[in-house]
Formats: sequence, structure tokens, C-alpha cells
Amino acid sequence: MKIFKESIIIVILSSLFGLISGTLLSSNEALLTTIPILLLIIPALNSLIGDISTVLVSRLTTHLYIGTLSPKIQKSKRLKEDFFGLLITLILSLIALLLIGYIVGITIGIKIVNPFLIIFIITLTILLIFIIMFAALFFSAIFLYKRGRDPNNFLIPFLTSLADFLTPLFLILFIIIFI
Amino acid sequence: MEIQDSKGKIVKEAFPSELISIIGDILAGIVLSLLILPFDSFPVLILMIPALLSLRGNLSGPFIARTSRDFIIGHFSRRTWIENVLATYTLSIITAFFIGIFSFILDLILFKLFILPILYLILIPMISIILTLTISIPCSTGLNYLVFNRGLNPNNIVNPVMTAIDDFSTVFCFFLTIIMLGVP
Repeated sequence: MKIFKESIIIVILSSLFGLISGTLLSSNEALLTTIPILLLIIPALNSLIGDISTVLVSRLTTHLYIGTLSPKIQKSKRLKEDFFGLLITLILSLIALLLIGYIVGITIGIKIVNPFLIIFIITLTILLIFIIMFAALFFSAIFLYKRGRDPNNFLIPFLTSLADFLTPLFLILFIIIFI
Repeated sequence: MEIQDSKGKIVKEAFPSELISIIGDILAGIVLSLLILPFDSFPVLILMIPALLSLRGNLSGPFIARTSRDFIIGHFSRRTWIENVLATYTLSIITAFFIGIFSFILDLILFKLFILPILYLILIPMISIILTLTISIPCSTGLNYLVFNRGLNPNNIVNPVMTAIDDFSTVFCFFLTIIMLGVP
């Protein structure tokens, strides 16, 4: 009963976020049919940005609790190491994702449209979301920590849903702008 | 320790598990683009998939974390496991019901497609999440047990591996459900 009570609201709320993301995809069905590689890699893109952000929140929270990061909005060596460490992981993972995605896409006979432009749009989307998430999660973690809350408990449940929402949003937005 | 982690160490530890997760998600993408895209009701079906993936993450993630914790602190027993399983199934059924209702409302207000009746919109998320958890729960419990018995920390290993398995099984079980229900 305790598990149920503590989880029900957040689980329903994050599923609603998922439905908003679904609405975005559904409203742009023609785009998904025209560029089918998007549908192939969208689950992996959502998962990638969600995973990296979860690692970031866990690390920020640990640093705040053990005092290796002071609860102030300021640059620090620790923060830079985390930022570049996660950015390199994100870039390497994105390269692997695009390589695997396109190889699988070609193998299973998916129509490949404007590959270089699509890769540029995907890269731009993921890097932009990473920068937004990094800044937003850093500020939120400090804000919550200063108020005596555990950032892990508040931020992690929202991350997946936020990533699921932001990734198709920016992807569709940039495709409309560039194509 | 996390205190001294350099950027190189972060990359070395995070990248391999991310690679496993990518492979699982690409498999989910194959099911989506090859098997689900051709359905006439695709515009309504795609509405539910991100919500189901979110729901799966929010159910199996904490389930795995609670099981790992119980193994590590020595509290794992048949009783704690059954409580954990029942809570996870109850949460999934209630939330899947809400996903169905909200999908119907979105279809009614925004899309006005009316391809699927409300009963299907409720049954699809409910059956697919139950099927997914029926695969995920025994797999993650078994993996937790194996990893723990080998003296490793289940927290670091079980979640990334299960994310890959779960994301694929969510989309695949979704596909099985729409086939079973005879969705157009």
C-alpha cells in the first residue's frame, strides 16, 4: 500500500506527459511516414537523453550531499568534469546510435531520406536538449537541496517524461525549419 | 568513488551500459517502423506508445531498485517480493486505464479520428503493460539474484540491461495486443 500511495500520482502524471509526446507524434504522422528512420530511432533518442540526465541528477545529488559541490549557482571544477564527461558520453552514444540506426534501417529496407541533414538535425536536437537539461537540472537540484529535499526523488521521475516530450518536440520543430 | 570521477572515468562507466540500452531501443524502433506503422489506426496507436514507454520506465525502474535494495540489505523474502509485484501490477492497471481514457479524450477533442472504440483504447494499454510486466518482473528478479550472488552491485548492472529488454518488450507486447484484439 505504501509503494502504491507514494507512486500513483507521479506515475499517472508522467504517463500524461507521455500522451502529450504521443500527441506531438500523432499530429506529425505524415513526417514519420516520409522520414521513417525517425520512428526507428526515436525510442533510442528518448532513452539516451533520459539516461544521461538521470546519471547527471544522481551525480549532482551525491556531490551536494557529500559536499564536493557547494549549493551555489557557480562554476566549479567538479561541475565542469561532470559536464564534459557526460557530454563526451552523449556524443559517443549518439554516434553509435546513428551508426546502428542507419545500418539497421538500410538492412531492413527503410527508405533513407536526406541522411546528412537528418543526422545534423538529430545532433542539434540532442545537444540542445542536453544543454537545456544540464542547466535546468543543476538549478533545480540546488534549489531543492537548499530546501532540504532530495533532488533524486523529485527530479528523476520527471526526467524520462520530460525527455520523451522534448525530443520529438525539438526534432519536429527543426525538421519543419530545415526541410 | 564518485568524488574523484574524472570525465574519462564517467565515459568509461556510462558508455557501455548506454550502448546496451541503444541496441534494445533500436529493436523497439524496428517493431514500431516495420510492424506498427502499417496499421490504419497508427495515428491513434502512436498516441499511446510514448505514454506506455514512460509508464514502463516508472514501474519497472522502481521495482528493480526495490528488489536490488532488498537483496543488498538482506530483506529479500517471498513476502516483500509479492508485495512489490502486487503494487507494480496495481499501479500499472490503474495508470493504463487512465492512459486509455485520456487517449479517448484526446482523440475526441484534437484528432477526431474515431478509428477505435473506447473499449479498445482502454484494453490496449492495459493488456500490453500487463504482458510487458509479466516478462520484465521475472527477468529482472532473476537478473538481480544472479548479479547479487556473484558479489556485484545490482544497482549498477540490472537497470541498464533491463531498460534495453523492457523498451523492446513494451513495443513488442503492444504489437501482440493489437494483433490479439484485431485492431485495424
